[in-house]
Amino acid sequence: MKNGAKYYILFTVMLLCCFVVDILSGAVAIPVKDIFNSIFASNSLPDTLQNSFVKDIVLDFRLPKAIVALMAGVGLSVCGLQMQTLFRNPLADPYILGISAASGLGVAIFVMGGSLLGIDMSHPFFQIFGIAGAALAGAFLLTLLIISLSNKLKENLSLLIFGIMAGSVASAIISLLQYFTSAASLKTYVIWTMGSFAGLGKLQLAILSVMVVAGLLLSIYNIKDLNALLLGEQHAAAMGLDVKAIKIRILIATTLLAGSVTAFCGPIGFIGIAVPHISRFIFRNANHKILLPASAFIGAIVMLLADIISQMPGSGSVIPINTVAALLGIPVILYIIIKNRV
Amino acid sequence: MNGKCQEMSEKLIEIKSLALGFNNDGREKVIFENINASASAGELIALIGSNGRGKSTLLKSIAGLIPIFRRQEPHSSDSNSRPSSGSNGHILYNGRMIEEFSHKELSQMISFVASHTERANHLSVKDMLSINCYYKTNWLGTITESDNKRISQALEMVGLEGFEERNSFGLSDGEYQRATIAAAIVQDSSIIILDEPTAFLDIANRFIITKLLREIAHKTGKLIIFSTHDLQLAIDMCDKIWLMASDGFHNNTPASLMESGAFEKLFTNSSMRFNKETRSFEML
Repeated sequence: MKNGAKYYILFTVMLLCCFVVDILSGAVAIPVKDIFNSIFASNSLPDTLQNSFVKDIVLDFRLPKAIVALMAGVGLSVCGLQMQTLFRNPLADPYILGISAASGLGVAIFVMGGSLLGIDMSHPFFQIFGIAGAALAGAFLLTLLIISLSNKLKENLSLLIFGIMAGSVASAIISLLQYFTSAASLKTYVIWTMGSFAGLGKLQLAILSVMVVAGLLLSIYNIKDLNALLLGEQHAAAMGLDVKAIKIRILIATTLLAGSVTAFCGPIGFIGIAVPHISRFIFRNANHKILLPASAFIGAIVMLLADIISQMPGSGSVIPINTVAALLGIPVILYIIIKNRV
Repeated sequence: MNGKCQEMSEKLIEIKSLALGFNNDGREKVIFENINASASAGELIALIGSNGRGKSTLLKSIAGLIPIFRRQEPHSSDSNSRPSSGSNGHILYNGRMIEEFSHKELSQMISFVASHTERANHLSVKDMLSINCYYKTNWLGTITESDNKRISQALEMVGLEGFEERNSFGLSDGEYQRATIAAAIVQDSSIIILDEPTAFLDIANRFIITKLLREIAHKTGKLIIFSTHDLQLAIDMCDKIWLMASDGFHNNTPASLMESGAFEKLFTNSSMRFNKETRSFEML
């Protein structure tokens, strides 16, 4: 375990560094000292226009964005790990059961269906919670549907097929909405699908945090069951485990994590597949007591890195987070396939 | 034609008038009927039967992995026809019906080793065995010093001493099968059920595994029931044989079964004959 401790010290240092660099990076260059002052000693700063400007950028924009990136990284990676174990499939990701498609459908109905029905979307409630609420509703409705059908979806394969079918149905309905909707609504929807950590208010951040922490705690509680599933469901059932109850618990944790992250940040791909494999590669251990915290740490680091890269330091412009996530995640996935390091 | 075996010791398991079958959308298919058997602690029992007779179904029913087959009332006009539980057989452990056991109680009574246990890369042998300590460990699955000791002892018993930190994924088929048996020992149940534990092994490993099962049964007092197609080894090594033959279920010692000619009924194929001398089948 000495080696493990060394890794966790390294992860903590890397996480802190990435967190600070993420807050540092952006269109406006702010010195490290000013960032620390605005976070830890904002009241003692002289009340100048410059200081208040820096404080606004750091506290209202960059700090929340870095926290969201960290939570998205933790949430998606821990979620991906559980899906890979549950399905015994190295290419399973947080969205394998159609959560992103269901969230997408929720958002599409809200953004594009709302305008088609002539609902006024400028109401403050819709502005703050509309998209996230619709995405969460989509994800949770899908989960409820899967749980209610769990007697029919006993086999993992049927569950997988159901997820893919649910995704296809959602995509079809989304296409239909896209065809009929206005250009402005279509743009709002497309921007949501590109993913972003920015623009979350304090209340939205609080909701996301509570859901991610709840999902994470449930995932930690799932560790023992995830280990029991390592040798297959039949083995777990043979030891007297209630596999159906375990699956439902994993599904709820997954929905809390992936559903909330998708709702507030958009569907972010590849990180959820790649990070659990990076953890396995580093620790060469299948035990979830090691893989779960490792995936959480590495997920947070990778997502912060993705966010830093998406700022394109020095250029002043921002590229969508999904593009960066794909560029970071795909090489890892290809490496896994080529080396078959499952 | 049910073989009756006189047991002096207390019965650990009793199977009474059990039928095996399936219910698919109201269509009932019985694959084997009237199974009566019993077994006591410390016995090694081989379950023999041709393909499709229901060996795996029987073992899974005994292990509580699938519910006992219940027949529907014939020609019942009631759409919610209830099973006629009285005539459909029972499985009892120490006189208690299997349905009365909770998941946890059943795991303390029986451990089940499937014919082919899946593997996970980078799973150490020790972590693999600690999975079977599920009901003994805390919520996080932390193994205690005594669990550690049991794991080491189980590995020693199956001839894998010092394998704790080895990657289970890289073990040979024979070693992996021994590790799964060690995991069943670690579970600390009174009964171990194995579904064709030697199916994927070479002749030497088949012999080693069967001999190992015999040692475990006799040394630890566990009841071990396993299915196999290796008649010769079963006759040589097992205390009793449960034979699923074309004329019914037989439960007796290998010698009695040979004497009674029960093995002749193992296959319905008339071009094969059981040779008592070589203890194997031969073409006519």
